[in-house]
Amino acid sequence: MSSTPVNYDKTKSFLIDTTKCTGCRGCQVACKQWNQLKAENTTFFSGEGYQNPPLMSEYTFTRVKFKDYQKDGQNEFAFYKEMCMHCNEPACASVCPVGAFVKTPEGPVVYDAGRCIGCRFCMIACPFGIPKYEWSKAFPLVRKCTGCFSRIKEGMQPACVTACPTAISYGSRADMIKEAEKRLKNRPDRYQQTIYGKDEAGGTSIFYLTEQPLDELGFKPVTQRSLPSYTWQALRLVPGIFLTVGGGLSLLSWFTHRKERIRQEEAFKNSKVQPETTVEETREDQP
Amino acid sequence: MTAAARIIINEIKGYHNFLKFMIGLVVMGALATMARFIFGLGVTTNLNDVYPWGLWISFDVVTAVPLAAGAFTLGAIVHCFHIKKLEPLVRPAIVTGFLGYSLVCVGLLLDLGQPQRAWHTMVYWNIHSPMFEVSMCIMAYTTVLFLEFLSPVCEKFGYHVPLRVLRWLEMPLVIGAAAISTLHQSSLGTFFLIAVDKLHALWYNPLLPLLFWMSAIFTGISIIILEATMVHRYLGQPDESELLEVLTKILPWTLGAYLIVKLAATALLSHGPLYDRPSLLTLFLAELIIGIIIPMFMFMKKAYREDDRMQLRGASLVIAGVVLNRFNVSMFGMEQADQAIYYPSIIESLVTIGIIAAHVLFFVLLAKYFPIFEHHPETVDYSLPDHAHSMTAAHEHSHASGSESVH
Ligand code: SF4
Ligand code: SF4
Ligand code: SF4
Repeated sequence: MSSTPVNYDKTKSFLIDTTKCTGCRGCQVACKQWNQLKAENTTFFSGEGYQNPPLMSEYTFTRVKFKDYQKDGQNEFAFYKEMCMHCNEPACASVCPVGAFVKTPEGPVVYDAGRCIGCRFCMIACPFGIPKYEWSKAFPLVRKCTGCFSRIKEGMQPACVTACPTAISYGSRADMIKEAEKRLKNRPDRYQQTIYGKDEAGGTSIFYLTEQPLDELGFKPVTQRSLPSYTWQALRLVPGIFLTVGGGLSLLSWFTHRKERIRQEEAFKNSKVQPETTVEETREDQP
Repeated sequence: MTAAARIIINEIKGYHNFLKFMIGLVVMGALATMARFIFGLGVTTNLNDVYPWGLWISFDVVTAVPLAAGAFTLGAIVHCFHIKKLEPLVRPAIVTGFLGYSLVCVGLLLDLGQPQRAWHTMVYWNIHSPMFEVSMCIMAYTTVLFLEFLSPVCEKFGYHVPLRVLRWLEMPLVIGAAAISTLHQSSLGTFFLIAVDKLHALWYNPLLPLLFWMSAIFTGISIIILEATMVHRYLGQPDESELLEVLTKILPWTLGAYLIVKLAATALLSHGPLYDRPSLLTLFLAELIIGIIIPMFMFMKKAYREDDRMQLRGASLVIAGVVLNRFNVSMFGMEQADQAIYYPSIIESLVTIGIIAAHVLFFVLLAKYFPIFEHHPETVDYSLPDHAHSMTAAHEHSHASGSESVH
């Protein structure tokens, strides 16, 4: 979005190793507790396998996705924790007409409920489908994972990280990438050789390591380019277009009207009528 | 009070049944709007986290804005390209434009979760947001249209001084209108540039803003044709089909240019498979054939250009095509293959129908009470009435602007 590339190495990042995730949903519960989110009335098996709740919502900022699959004739499970990716160049922040989303220097992309006008453009823009709306309210706002900004400002770790017994590591972006690459190198048979989130949407703060191919697990294939750059390449032309169209049309009208002015003056001369001393400027464009 | 009310009621009783029907639709729309504010968006609409935008954005904003493009297109044609004989069409176009944009604002406000904060866009700028740009432009342009719209109002009440100010402002307003419209018509396309991997490749390409702007131009022209023909048929106004013929001459060029850019952009600049969804492909072809190719060939024939029935048909086809195009981009093309299909709820539909009915109703009423069609610029007396002549020239200006705000 901005012309000077920002260094995101120091921003706080999550490394989520799905091969170590046990599907305990401790993070889901911790997130609800910390953010004081209402419980939802859900039924089992309404989503894929044991996944519950089936979707993220205004009450659920993170959920563990379940995937059943078969390996060597055995039934296997795969899990991964879905949450806001805290993109380096967030689409949600770029489209918001009032700038309600901000990428903090610490890493999390935070939302200012006092600014939001509720247009839902952020929901259209987010490539991961993260912002959710308070559909139950007459004057709704947007809700999403805060990256536990209030906790990390105080030097704590996010609630979901502290709750996770096995799979989530938390630290600076550079460290997490280094750690992920180390794991990929040490156990090539265990991992798919990609770090989801490293380049997705121009880079995010959440990295996933998986054993299964990403698309089989339900990871969305997302462009590697930062999303705001797609709109900015059109929007940056706006002042130029405004001046070109305005200036071009002014010039054009000056020329087209000039012809008429000349014709009128000739007509005056030919008719030998003395033009009034106070010919109105505004009269010129009358036929 | 009661006397005035009785006069109004009697006046309404005298209306044609069609107008009464329109009033009924507007009332229903207003009731549906109240329901939306009392019970909330979630209950009254079929919107959800999968479909954050529905009929209100697709029609009331994304489609209605190009449909209201007649004013700026015609303004530029008449005043900048100086095709003066089309002047009688300008005023109805401005009235339609002003009504259209006012109703776009209404539609946008209804769709916002926090409409009482709409002013935030003016305070918290985010120049990276196409939505910010569009809302600023729409506010600015509605003001411009309002100023242009003041002319018939002042004529009606015989306010000469503001009339002269408005006359003096005419050219700047026309040029400003064209520049602002270019920006927001195209920026509506920029909205969907952020929907990478969401909007289907048939519509997603980096030239979307340009295509939105080009289609706004021929839609504006077509709306003027449609409107002038309707007004001639049903409101007993003079037949303008000779003037409309000039417009139909412009249409094949604009349609052709659009077709070339669109096909080139789709073929060369889009990413991802084009032919994987038969239903979307059908919609894409329908939009092109109905809205572009058929009317383009129709208006290439002189006989069709001169025939007022064909003028109407061709223009209606263009309009249908543009409506389909905007729905394709903002709704159908955004639906993923594995998603449930969105359809508007009854309340959403009632509101949109109410908005369309309000447009027709207000237009007819304005035409009834204000000099919109009788406008012949050469006959309007812009000179100051005698009593005003005593003012010195220097004072004229300050008085003029002062009296404008009073009225
Ligand atoms: S994942 Fe979506 S909501 Fe989260 S920062 Fe990125 S664009 Fe914004
Ligand atoms: S819904 Fe709120 S946060 Fe989202 S884009 Fe609109 S104003 Fe911004
Ligand atoms: S970072 Fe905080 S808000 Fe986000 S998922 Fe974890 S606990 Fe929830």
